[in-house]
Amino acid sequence: MWTYDKKLQYPVKIKNPNPKLAQIIISQLGGPDGEMGASMRYLNQRYSMPYNEVTGILTDIGTEELAHLEMVAAILHQLTRNLKEEEIAGTPFATYFVDHTTGVYPVAASGVPFDMKYVGVKGDIVADLHEDMAAEQKARVTYDNILRLCDDPDVLDPIKYLRQREIVHYQRFGDALRITQDHLNSKNFYAFNPSFDKGMKKT
Amino acid sequence: MNRNETTKHDHTAMNKLRAIDFALQETVLFLDAYPENKQALHYYHQLLAQRRELIEELEHSGHPLTMYGNKSQTSWDWIRGPWPWEPDAN
Repeated sequence: MWTYDKKLQYPVKIKNPNPKLAQIIISQLGGPDGEMGASMRYLNQRYSMPYNEVTGILTDIGTEELAHLEMVAAILHQLTRNLKEEEIAGTPFATYFVDHTTGVYPVAASGVPFDMKYVGVKGDIVADLHEDMAAEQKARVTYDNILRLCDDPDVLDPIKYLRQREIVHYQRFGDALRITQDHLNSKNFYAFNPSFDKGMKKT
Repeated sequence: MNRNETTKHDHTAMNKLRAIDFALQETVLFLDAYPENKQALHYYHQLLAQRRELIEELEHSGHPLTMYGNKSQTSWDWIRGPWPWEPDAN
């Protein structure tokens, strides 16, 4: 089970509202490579993992992703505070505003609501860990793209922090994959089905 | 090292903790709605004291409850099974 820690993992303090920027950053909440997908991916994959190290890594990274979800939501909330109508009308944020006002709703920057289709749970340790490593790289690229489109230092700071975490998570998933492959014997050198077939693991 | 090492699960202590935590959950939800209720606040503190004691006991016998609860200086018990969704942990 979970309990809530009443703090952000890293501070978010944005002076100037900027709904256009929020419209872009929202992809890291409910987009294809966003934090909601990340947390759901890892926390749902845990159950079929045969090694404690891998179960532990998925549990703890999945939990950290929930903290990142909250940070992204905090950025969105602060970027859409105290808006005047003229700051909304005619901007890309207007289409979001008409449906959700300034509530925080998980959608992609393109406007597509969050979908569990973004999340792969194959029930196979090799397939799932490759999915996770790719997911971390895709999230890192999305943060790179946000950094290219953003020039507010108050926003850049937490976004850079979140980008760094993607890199660390990628490295830990790489460790998880190496630990998994260390368990395979010569009959299963190419890791074709380590989860289910007997006689494919080192004894 | 056997990578799938498990710790002997202490069912009695865990069930006691579940009971205390459930009472706390109900009390917290009530206090969220009625923050001025002194009787509920008093009950919350009673439960919290019991919880602290029980967690201390559990964690010192090698069952960290959160990632901050690995009391051992020599072994990483946090990833030992049984995991909460396994029958042996229930």
